[in-house]
Amino acid sequence: MAKIVMYTLSTCPWCKKAKTFFEENDITFESIDYDLEDKESQKEIITKMKELGGTTATPFVIIDDIVIVGYRPKEYAKALNLGDGSE
Amino acid sequence: MNAGGVNLKENNKWVSVSVSSEFSDGSMKVVSVGDQRILLIQVQGKIYGIENTCIHMNCPMHRGLLEGYTIKCPCHDWEFDIRTGEHLMADELKIPVFECKIDENDVLIKMEG
Amino acid sequence: MSERSIEARKKQLMKMFQRVIDPLGYKFNPDNELVDFIMEQEVKLEREAGAPFCPCQALPERREDRMKLVCPCIPYHRKHFDAMKACWCQLYVHKDITDTSQLEQIPITELE
Ligand code: SF4
Ligand code: FES
Repeated sequence: MAKIVMYTLSTCPWCKKAKTFFEENDITFESIDYDLEDKESQKEIITKMKELGGTTATPFVIIDDIVIVGYRPKEYAKALNLGDGSE
Repeated sequence: MNAGGVNLKENNKWVSVSVSSEFSDGSMKVVSVGDQRILLIQVQGKIYGIENTCIHMNCPMHRGLLEGYTIKCPCHDWEFDIRTGEHLMADELKIPVFECKIDENDVLIKMEG
Repeated sequence: MSERSIEARKKQLMKMFQRVIDPLGYKFNPDNELVDFIMEQEVKLEREAGAPFCPCQALPERREDRMKLVCPCIPYHRKHFDAMKACWCQLYVHKDITDTSQLEQIPITELE
């Protein structure tokens, strides 16, 4: 099974939608709300986001080694081989 | 005539708001004309006038940082060219500017209408 | 923070932001529910962090970087947002957008 890590914000509507997408497809994922983390972890997360995706925009989804920035159900589905991803 | 504590010597649309001896390069001074607050700034011997209110969230510009012809709003660092009032990253965003001149010792601002 | 004061601040911010986005060619998203949710987050961020920061972008530590994420951040992400016809959060959309379901978040790295 794919390993999924998601950097999100508790304030971001598109992050909620991204989480819902994975929940509805019964896919286990780990999500980290950046804004609720302490300063030290925030620094690490920012560095990682910049390194992997060149941006700090959320949702920031990592599926194995594929990085998908934004709420993009079709791209998530492709990365997970879920068919066409239409909701 | 008195408007907002400033002595007005009306000369067509030109309004006297200050005296030039109060200015040197880099100095900033806020004056009131009617209900408008205008920030006067001298750069390279010339005086420029912009509305003292940032178009983002209304912060007073006179607390901002001046560098060359650029003034940086103290609140969220939006930068404007004092000659045109334009935001440096998006010229559609403009703080209203006022033409200024020095007549004898008076600093005059051109008021529209 | 009372419900009333959140609502009042939301309205004030929206009035100020309208003045900024209009000359840039944007309007508020016609999806009122989304606008409502995002604006509420911004009011809370303003109280907690000192400015109505973007609720959809992680806030870096340096002032210089943070200030580029104060709403509306359109001037600093012009090319990116113009290409998406919306800002990252989709709080603002291009004036000609009526059907917001065609909008998609596309990272800047894919547009470069
Ligand atoms: S992405 Fe949109 S909501 Fe977020 S700060 Fe920029 S303009 Fe505001
Ligand atoms: S009020 Fe001037 S930059 Fe925000």
